[in-house]
Amino acid sequence: MNIATVEPWVEAPLRRFVDDARARLALLLHPSGQVIAQAGFTREVDVMSACALAAASHATAGELGRRVDGHAFRSLHYAGPERQLFLSPVETARGAYICLTVFNAESSLGLVRMYFEELCTELAAAAPPLPSIRQPTIAADFELDLNRNLAALFGRPVTS
Amino acid sequence: MTPFTSILESLSRQRGVRASLVVSENDGLVVDSRLRFGQDGDRVAALAASMYRKARLSARAARLGAVAFLQLDAERGRVCAVGGRSDLVIVVVADPAANVGLIRVELFKALESLE
Repeated sequence: MNIATVEPWVEAPLRRFVDDARARLALLLHPSGQVIAQAGFTREVDVMSACALAAASHATAGELGRRVDGHAFRSLHYAGPERQLFLSPVETARGAYICLTVFNAESSLGLVRMYFEELCTELAAAAPPLPSIRQPTIAADFELDLNRNLAALFGRPVTS
Repeated sequence: MTPFTSILESLSRQRGVRASLVVSENDGLVVDSRLRFGQDGDRVAALAASMYRKARLSARAARLGAVAFLQLDAERGRVCAVGGRSDLVIVVVADPAANVGLIRVELFKALESLE
């Protein structure tokens, strides 16, 4: 399966996770919707929309959990007739990310959850520390970053 | 107390049994379990369900019919599983020295009462 990452430290753990859990698609993204890595996608537009929808679902579920239970729901699972998805946050030294995993009958929720725990451990261990000076995220930066990340993932030249 | 409590307690009473679980084959999730200290039920359930499912599909592909009993012997333990017509699989994790014959009988009894 083709795997592309913006951050190189993500690649090995993600590849292992996708192989072990027999995932059909996987996305690692920032909660803002910025893509960090993708596995199995062939079109940029699919990555963009999946990131936006995953970030929105995660935010919605989190808020719903806070209202219902006082705590954000962490993981989401949806089982369709052919494919299932598992959406869950990953905590690292570089901050929180969200991982979207799509799998079919070759795998199971139990296997995906089990290997996802290993992915979390490996990413937490592999993440380099956050730079001490951080630039604020503004709208213009967001779009620039998004385009740069998608260009990196799909091997096209960066346009500003 | 669940409908599986007595089944699992009876399996766990067998000598050398470390864990007994009722697992959903499709989801790989624990439905109910009796675990000895140190056993990771979620992990056992996910892997045992996956193994049982693959064995069932392989047997079907090879035109051997339904899987009756699945046994995996490893260096530090063994896994035994039986499944019936439903999505549920009964799994036992035992010591290498455990009596598989007795475990097998108990597993089939458990399956009968499940169905």
